[in-house]
Amino acid sequence: MFSGHVTKDISAYCHGELSSEESKQFAEHIIACAKCRTKYEEVKLGVKLAEQLPQLSAPDYLWRDLEPLLEKETAAPAISSVSWSWQLKAAAAVVLMLLAGLSALLVYKTRRLERGPEIANEKASWHVKRLDGAPRIGSEQIANNGQLGVGEWLETDGSSRAQIAVGSIGNVEIDENTRVRLLQTDPTEHRLELARGKMSARIWAPPRLFFVDTPSAVAADLGCAYTLEVDDHGGSLLRVTSGWVALQLKDRESIVPTGAACETQPGIGPGTPYFEDAPTVFRAALRKFDFEHDASAVTVLLDQARPRDTLTLWHLLARVNGEDRERVYEKMAAFVPPPAGVTREGVLRLDQQMLESWKNELESTWTGGRLSMPKGVKEAYFRVRNGLSRRLKDMAPK
Amino acid sequence: MMVAEQLIDGRIIEACQQGDRAAFQLLFETYKDKVFSIAVYSSGDRSLADDITQQIFLKLFTAIRQFRGDSEFTTWLYRLVVNACLDERRRRRRLLPWGETVEMRKTGERKPQEKQYARREVSEAVQAAIAELKPKFRLPILLKYIEGLSYEEIASVMGCSKGTVASRLNRGHSQLAKRLSHLNNPAVWGE
Repeated sequence: MFSGHVTKDISAYCHGELSSEESKQFAEHIIACAKCRTKYEEVKLGVKLAEQLPQLSAPDYLWRDLEPLLEKETAAPAISSVSWSWQLKAAAAVVLMLLAGLSALLVYKTRRLERGPEIANEKASWHVKRLDGAPRIGSEQIANNGQLGVGEWLETDGSSRAQIAVGSIGNVEIDENTRVRLLQTDPTEHRLELARGKMSARIWAPPRLFFVDTPSAVAADLGCAYTLEVDDHGGSLLRVTSGWVALQLKDRESIVPTGAACETQPGIGPGTPYFEDAPTVFRAALRKFDFEHDASAVTVLLDQARPRDTLTLWHLLARVNGEDRERVYEKMAAFVPPPAGVTREGVLRLDQQMLESWKNELESTWTGGRLSMPKGVKEAYFRVRNGLSRRLKDMAPK
Repeated sequence: MMVAEQLIDGRIIEACQQGDRAAFQLLFETYKDKVFSIAVYSSGDRSLADDITQQIFLKLFTAIRQFRGDSEFTTWLYRLVVNACLDERRRRRRLLPWGETVEMRKTGERKPQEKQYARREVSEAVQAAIAELKPKFRLPILLKYIEGLSYEEIASVMGCSKGTVASRLNRGHSQLAKRLSHLNNPAVWGE
């Protein structure tokens, strides 16, 4: 079905009109095809906009004005001799009561709409499969399968595990002693909250569709597989096994490719990403720099860095000042000279375009030339960086 | 389907077919908001939508006798609604250029200090943009987002294939996105 471009199926994908297999093939094509991805972004915005279309309330006088017209219509044909049974009258009463209730619900939902972005489809839910033990949704233990509704918590104890189907775009395995909540699921955004514990996500959706809120950052999927672990103090550890993930808290962000990891801390946000095969001394120094404010750690980082560690150094550029920034620049330039158009002065003043150009050059070093970030994913990343939800601001240190 | 709609069963429809006014009032109360919403978004004019809604229910009152249950009642009803909106548009095209009476405010007319109403602002901009779409793109969007119909149900109402519905929704969404590209900004959405 998807041997060619998939633009004609975009709305059907967003509305869940494709089969599970078709959705998967669609998402795989979108990740690989820049043309379809561009169109997908456009249609997705259209879907998001159309979802804002409210149902309106008909004015009360409509029936009053209609009645005389019906009177004229009924003047010709004989009025029904059918009398209402008591069952019909009861049904009528129930319908009228329900309509009153639904009106109240409409008012409630309208008010929620005005409150802000938490306009999740509250009826939507994700399928949960028990893997081990007795996971709970709310206070209820699930047998083999359950449904996780928006706003509900899924919790595992020391001997239970579960798997969540994230709509048709992937799945998330929930490890022991973990607590997650479904915050939102709709065609344009799926969002989980990981309060504590560990989850492993495999997502085959286009970038910027699946998010995980943790106490110290938000993980935005850019087409990938990863594990995310949150400790009892709200710190977290992200490890990417495939693709790319962006971590962000307010203006601080880290992009993490395959084979790399990144820690986050409450009040600080994401630390600097590093490759997991980096020397132990390098990683220890990075931890001191990120979370113990030890500026002297920069010297160790520069001494120990390998070409591949330009991932860390590129992020460090914006996190150090003055002489340290110059030293980081020199070290990076020794590994991979900046491309044409990228100047030392521009990098030192953190010109975003120049930093981005240099990063493009560096990516083959980070991924061994295998998995450089597709252009659309890069664009998505920057939109993610500029546009993560208001929750980020709420989570930011005061 | 909403709970109230589930209670509109064969007995109530049969009573309506017999001309029973109370049964018909139930039908009216159940569907009036959805019919009115489509009329507003199709005509872009609330007072005109009052008339269209009344005409639809007046027609329904007599035409319901012809409903044989070959399709879902809602499909049959929405077909009536769609035809009424298209008829009204044809009638108005003869009288004045389309869009001349559109009352819905556009975003540019709102003052910047009303940021706390960002979402309402978006909603109003969408309503205005919807009113400017061609009916063949607008109606599938209304049936999808106001009535919550599936592609198959929309196809049945519009008398076309599912593929055509998918294609028209695609184009409708694209046109909305292009017209409202300035809203592709987290600040507008209160983010």
